[in-house]
Amino acid sequence: MAAEYCSTNSRYTYVHEDQKGNLEAIDAHHILLRKGNSKFVLLFLSAILLTTTAFSLSTLKHGESSNILLWSLLLSTTLVIVFLRKPVEKESVIIMPAFGVQLETHYRSGGTIHRFIPIDKILKPVLNECVTPVTCYWSLSLILREEEELLLVFKELRPPVKMLIPVWKALCVATDSLETIDQPG
Amino acid sequence: MAVECCLLRRIDLWVERELVAACGGEELGDRDGETKFSVTMCNDDVCGTRSGRSSSVVVDGRPVTDFVSRRRRLHQSSPALRRLSLCLCFCLLVSEMGDQSKHRILMVSDFFFPNFGGVENHIYYLAQCLLKLGHKVVVMTHAYETRSGVRYMTGGLKVYYIPWKPFLMQNTLPTFYGTLPIIRTILIREKISLVHGHQAFSTLCHEALMHARTMGYRVVFTDHSLYGFADAGSIHMNKVLQFTLADVTQAICVSHTSKENTVLRSGLPSEKVFVIPNAMDTAMFKPAPEQLCRDEIVIVVISRLVYRKGADLLVEVIPEVCRLYPNVRFIVGGDGPKRVRLEEMREKNSLQDRVEMLGAVPHAKVRSVLILGHIFLNSSLTEAFCIAILEAASCGLLTVSTRVGGVPEVLPDDMIVLAKPDPVDMVQAIRKAIDILPKIDPHAMHLRMKKLYSWHDVAKRTEIVYDRAVRCSNQNLLERLSRYLTCGTWAGKLFCLVMIIDFLLWHLLKVFQPAADIEVVPDIVTPPCQHVGKEQVGTVSVVPEFSSSCDWEASCRQAPVWTAESIL
Repeated sequence: MAAEYCSTNSRYTYVHEDQKGNLEAIDAHHILLRKGNSKFVLLFLSAILLTTTAFSLSTLKHGESSNILLWSLLLSTTLVIVFLRKPVEKESVIIMPAFGVQLETHYRSGGTIHRFIPIDKILKPVLNECVTPVTCYWSLSLILREEEELLLVFKELRPPVKMLIPVWKALCVATDSLETIDQPG
Repeated sequence: MAVECCLLRRIDLWVERELVAACGGEELGDRDGETKFSVTMCNDDVCGTRSGRSSSVVVDGRPVTDFVSRRRRLHQSSPALRRLSLCLCFCLLVSEMGDQSKHRILMVSDFFFPNFGGVENHIYYLAQCLLKLGHKVVVMTHAYETRSGVRYMTGGLKVYYIPWKPFLMQNTLPTFYGTLPIIRTILIREKISLVHGHQAFSTLCHEALMHARTMGYRVVFTDHSLYGFADAGSIHMNKVLQFTLADVTQAICVSHTSKENTVLRSGLPSEKVFVIPNAMDTAMFKPAPEQLCRDEIVIVVISRLVYRKGADLLVEVIPEVCRLYPNVRFIVGGDGPKRVRLEEMREKNSLQDRVEMLGAVPHAKVRSVLILGHIFLNSSLTEAFCIAILEAASCGLLTVSTRVGGVPEVLPDDMIVLAKPDPVDMVQAIRKAIDILPKIDPHAMHLRMKKLYSWHDVAKRTEIVYDRAVRCSNQNLLERLSRYLTCGTWAGKLFCLVMIIDFLLWHLLKVFQPAADIEVVPDIVTPPCQHVGKEQVGTVSVVPEFSSSCDWEASCRQAPVWTAESIL
């Protein structure tokens, strides 16, 4: 029996599938990135800028404002590369209690990256506030035993904290139940 | 219009209720559109009903209707007067509520822990005392090496270490508009009501105050130091200060001398400047349990050995005092560029057994050095307040100090001997101090200091400044620009341009990153006793220390942990 819960905001959609059936319950949480038109518009504009700059540079007479055109060529190339990066479609967390957690990143081109973490390797899932030079956002990470760095659960996407909380709670329940088994008495 | 009528009726009802309550009456409740009141006064029992617009309630021989209907007639006659009385009533209501409201303060400075000093201490202790009074305090500073991101200190004090590298003397690189996005994010997510900047020499402070004013927040500025007027560095610093303080809501200085200095440097009206002296933690600085033997008099000096702290004066004073008084010994703690001169003086005069050089003394060990002496010598050439002499007095030492800056305001006359910053005068002062020494009781001094200086007192006074700041009206951009124009012929126009660009950038940022997208952080509730344990709320976390990493992405993964109960 699969129960589903969904919540959305302007950029992300959160879907929770709770499959309680047969032997084990598998808990799957998905964060989907909504298709935005703005990215394509910006990509299109950057591509136009690139072509016009390249064209002007090729038909240019030597010495005439070549510096400016070279800089704008560099800028437009950078913009095109940035917008042409592999777009992410969905990131998933599949919790298999007493077994492990699978983190998946699905790209729009069809490729998927899977990372599996055995349940006894996870010390604790944590909600962190990350501060960058221009902003501050929430992220969900896993503290792993014998590892120096935290592992980000959602590597590419930055969903809002309201969507991170149910995932965090589910991870806590999965890791806590293991700890209660481990503890003596 | 409809809203105004509704508001008027509610205010009328409120006014009547207040009048009735003031007379010791009670409201009997609403029924069929009538509100009944019963008023009992000293000799007469008057019971009246109010139906519609008439009332037969009598107060002090005058029917209440008179007051109410007169007000109503006044309102109906003139819309402007009506609006004025509406505003007045609301101001009354709001001011009564506002007096009890707690503030949400953002303290900004380049100087905070793990760096150690007067400003850092001030911010920390003030924040702790304000937290105890029930306000919310968040501190913002720049990142120190690997310490970057969000940290929590005692009492749930949240500190944002912004990953901007310091470039000169612990100051963040001044980019004018670079810090606008992160400051706006922090102000929105923490629901800040007031921004408090510290220290004129902090670039982050100036930028934060500028951006906070652009976004309409109230700002308070505290100046901790005295600055000159003559040299090039001071002139530029004063111009920057003039820019920041042109539009500050309130300012605080640590002494009256500092207030005079700040007002002269910045052109701020003196009504806006409050004087709240620093304090110190008297519990940390207690005198020695047993009084020291007075056969040999020990003079202690603890300061940074730099020009500003009068190290050159020490070089002249110490040999002279040692020559005049064979039973006097010196202990010199601290380090700096002038240490070499002191060592040379020691060698030249063969004072190795009379002058002990300790080197840099960590703040935690300062008390253990102070209790070794009878007299504390401070030879600063300039000092806005001087917490060092407070610490010495709290440990029961008699102080000898130069009469500079705010020093005369700090201690009572019987605890300090003042001298001109001149070697001869200082030797005279030391002679006077040695004569007074038998009358000094260290424990009595400590108890007096405990009563005179306390951080809780500073916090309560600062709270009054915050209340005053919050009540100030908020002006729009055009009115504020007129204040900047008074800063100078060219400087005024430049400042206006800077503020206009800031305003435009703010609106641009509102388009790209709407305020609704920035999630508000829930308040953390700290338990009464804080243990580092499995369930942690608002304490330093169990997250292990990570290897150093320069980029902020990695440092994000070092932030501490707290439970999510408060965000559910």
